[in-house]
Amino acid sequence: MALIEIKDISKHFGGLKAVDQVSISIEKGQIYGLIGPNGAGKSTLFNCVAGLYPPTSGKVIYDGEDITGWKPWNVCRKGLARTFQIVKPFQKRTVLYNVMVGSFLKTSNPSEARDRAMEVLKRFNLADKWNILAGNLTIADRKRLEIARAMATEPDVLLLDESMAGLRPNEVDETLDEIRKIRDSGVTIFMIEHIMRAIMTVSDRITVIQFGKKIMDGTPQEVANDERVIKAYLGESYGAA
Amino acid sequence: MNSGSRRKTIDTVLKVALAVLVFTLPLWIKNPTYMQILIFMLLYAYLTTSWNLVGGFAGVLPLGHSAYVGIGAYTSTILWITWGVSPWLGMWVGAFIAAVVGTIIGIPTLKLRGAYFALSTMAFGEGVRVLAENTVKVGPCVVGGPQGICLPLVPGNNLALFQFVSKTPYYYIILIMLCIALFITWHISRIRPGYYLAAGGEEPEAAEALGVNVSKYKVWAMALSCFMTALGGTFLAQLTLYFYPKQILGLDFSFELAFIALIGGRGTIAGPVIGALLLRPVSEFTRIYLSSVLPGLHLVIFGAILILVMIYQPFGLVRPLSRFYDRMLDALSGEKKKER
Amino acid sequence: MDFDIILQAIINGLLTGSYYGLAALGLTLIFGVIKVINFAHGSLLMVGMFTAYWIVKLTGWNPYAALLVVVPLLFLFGYGLQGFLIKPVLIAQRDVREPTEVIIVTTGVWYILDNLALMLFGAEYRVVQTSVSGQIFMLGDYIFPKPQLYGFIITAATSFLLVWFLKYTKMGKAIRAASLDRDAASLMGINQYRVYNIAFGIGAAIAGIVGCVLIPFYYVFPTVGVVFDVKCFIIVVLGGLGSIPGALVGGAIIGLIESIFAQFIASTWTELIVYVVFLAVLFIRPAGLFGEKRDW
Repeated sequence: MALIEIKDISKHFGGLKAVDQVSISIEKGQIYGLIGPNGAGKSTLFNCVAGLYPPTSGKVIYDGEDITGWKPWNVCRKGLARTFQIVKPFQKRTVLYNVMVGSFLKTSNPSEARDRAMEVLKRFNLADKWNILAGNLTIADRKRLEIARAMATEPDVLLLDESMAGLRPNEVDETLDEIRKIRDSGVTIFMIEHIMRAIMTVSDRITVIQFGKKIMDGTPQEVANDERVIKAYLGESYGAA
Repeated sequence: MNSGSRRKTIDTVLKVALAVLVFTLPLWIKNPTYMQILIFMLLYAYLTTSWNLVGGFAGVLPLGHSAYVGIGAYTSTILWITWGVSPWLGMWVGAFIAAVVGTIIGIPTLKLRGAYFALSTMAFGEGVRVLAENTVKVGPCVVGGPQGICLPLVPGNNLALFQFVSKTPYYYIILIMLCIALFITWHISRIRPGYYLAAGGEEPEAAEALGVNVSKYKVWAMALSCFMTALGGTFLAQLTLYFYPKQILGLDFSFELAFIALIGGRGTIAGPVIGALLLRPVSEFTRIYLSSVLPGLHLVIFGAILILVMIYQPFGLVRPLSRFYDRMLDALSGEKKKER
Repeated sequence: MDFDIILQAIINGLLTGSYYGLAALGLTLIFGVIKVINFAHGSLLMVGMFTAYWIVKLTGWNPYAALLVVVPLLFLFGYGLQGFLIKPVLIAQRDVREPTEVIIVTTGVWYILDNLALMLFGAEYRVVQTSVSGQIFMLGDYIFPKPQLYGFIITAATSFLLVWFLKYTKMGKAIRAASLDRDAASLMGINQYRVYNIAFGIGAAIAGIVGCVLIPFYYVFPTVGVVFDVKCFIIVVLGGLGSIPGALVGGAIIGLIESIFAQFIASTWTELIVYVVFLAVLFIRPAGLFGEKRDW
């Protein structure tokens, strides 16, 4: 039994089928990638899992329990933490404050929450910036804070929504290292990513969607060598070359 | 000794001196007019501190809090006049009713974003005023319609009935109420609900993704805020011994609470107190000295202050003032503030 | 209850509702574009009314001729207000999703304008006799007071012009683009703040038009704006903030409630009914009748 079982999920906005009958199953301990061209429905699918809005049809089973249509906070309490593509730090608060909001999930004791938050900050190399207002961080640090904050809830699954978009190549490599470390600490990762190189190197398995429909899934090698994917994702010209 | 100890000593001395001054003020000031101004200052600081729980920490803009002041004042007064219940007891009944009403109004409206929430609370406040103005009597209870209610006078200083000839007891009662309210906000801001409220106020989606049921915390804050506001309403009734809808349920009153918080520093603990300390005397003295010369001038000044503060210090006056205080400590002690 | 009386009440309600709707139109336009509630809207209306009052009083002009002065004047006034006072706060708060500080600035403007009027003109209620005051138009047995009827026509014309302007002119399109997404609009070369100034100017000019419409049959006094402020707020929330048809329909609903219920109960109670309806709509359809459920 897979840890996360996404069964025939559809999400329609009016007449638009943003996601159409997509099924994905993610094993515990995997890094699972979701890719597709712009507007393919990746974020919509993601939001259906994370509870931002309920799917039109289909089911999300987590650890044997049906969590379809659960509210975001309940999804998080269940152990699935997410990040946002457009990061949403609490700008007027310090970095530590941001992470403490996350670590308060598992403890109501403020000093314990603070200690745990500091631990997380150390792991993500943000410890020396704990007292800076989140609004004053660089883009790279904001992205890192976004992951740190989610990790502070001590999740079993981390849902990453384009965590590497807008980063420089060396920053991408650092983030990849961090993602591997998170996985090695026992957290299953489900990620959307636009940067091909990044997702190919880190994922154990990948699903490709286009126009809301699943094209295929497989290992990075299988995906990279699939004609349909190359055409859909990288465009005809790339496929020809 | 480690560095900064001299600075710390001066800081402590100044704060203790301030506390002593505040608690002994009635010994120095005998003029009842000035006492009244001071009491009102503290009352506004108290009411704004209560407002700040939802308006500051939960990040919305309630513009109808006079409704809860009114609920407090009307409930305790009607209970006393009709059934002889001491206002000391009645105030808790009023506060409870206010909390229930606040919850009922809060559940649908706190889901709305800024503009809708501000306008709907404002309309609710006006609705309560119109209701009070249209109600002269309900069963045995006299509500008084637009004329409002005059509290029967009790001779002397009667602690049991919350009525005093001297201003001093009022001063201490509201001072203690303010201290408790400040303690409550301070405490909340340091524990989980405070973090969750502030997070939900700033970025609701992010907070929800971190496991926070944002609406639930906002509704709790609203209930507590309304509860505390209504207690202040009873105090106001006992202090003035006369109130009517246009005054105690008026739009101006609701707005003034919001202004004090915004000018002082919304979402900060000291903000409401600083706002009340600065704005109340301005509005009282300009009213006393200028209204006979040019009616309305004091409100023009008030409006101008509002605009200037919002343009130059949009986070309120707490920030520049605390920076000023830090510099003063630096100068007095010859030491720099230690950056933690 | 007599059918004729009800029909007359409906006529009165729609006539009244038209200038309520017109007043709300300016407010909803400003909100739709800048996402700011202009709390000084009623005060702008008051400024328009006093200007029209003095024009009629001093020159004896037809009150609608005053539009020629009031509309450009209020447009410039709104343009300047946004440019000088609101813009700096908007810029300082551009990362904040809901710049409530801007509401406070407009409230400061409200206090200043109302009390300047009080200082200049005193608190008394003024009326001015105009060429249309008190005149009526009969259709069968039904009475149409001429000033209100003209108000209805002016509302219709103004709404039509506004929709045409937003749909077919370059500036109108820019305003609509900025209202949808201000960042995207500014990327496409639209000067966001100039668009705001113009939108605010138009909103203020519409408030001025209402002032002119009111002059033949309404008292002028420094706090007259507050009466309309609260009504406008209710109307725009009822209709859906930012929605033009919402403002007009909301205005009609409030006008109808006031005139029809006045046939059955004391007029002080009709005010309460307005609030009850308002809160009911808020519970059932928080985004308003014409509003999209959107995250402002």
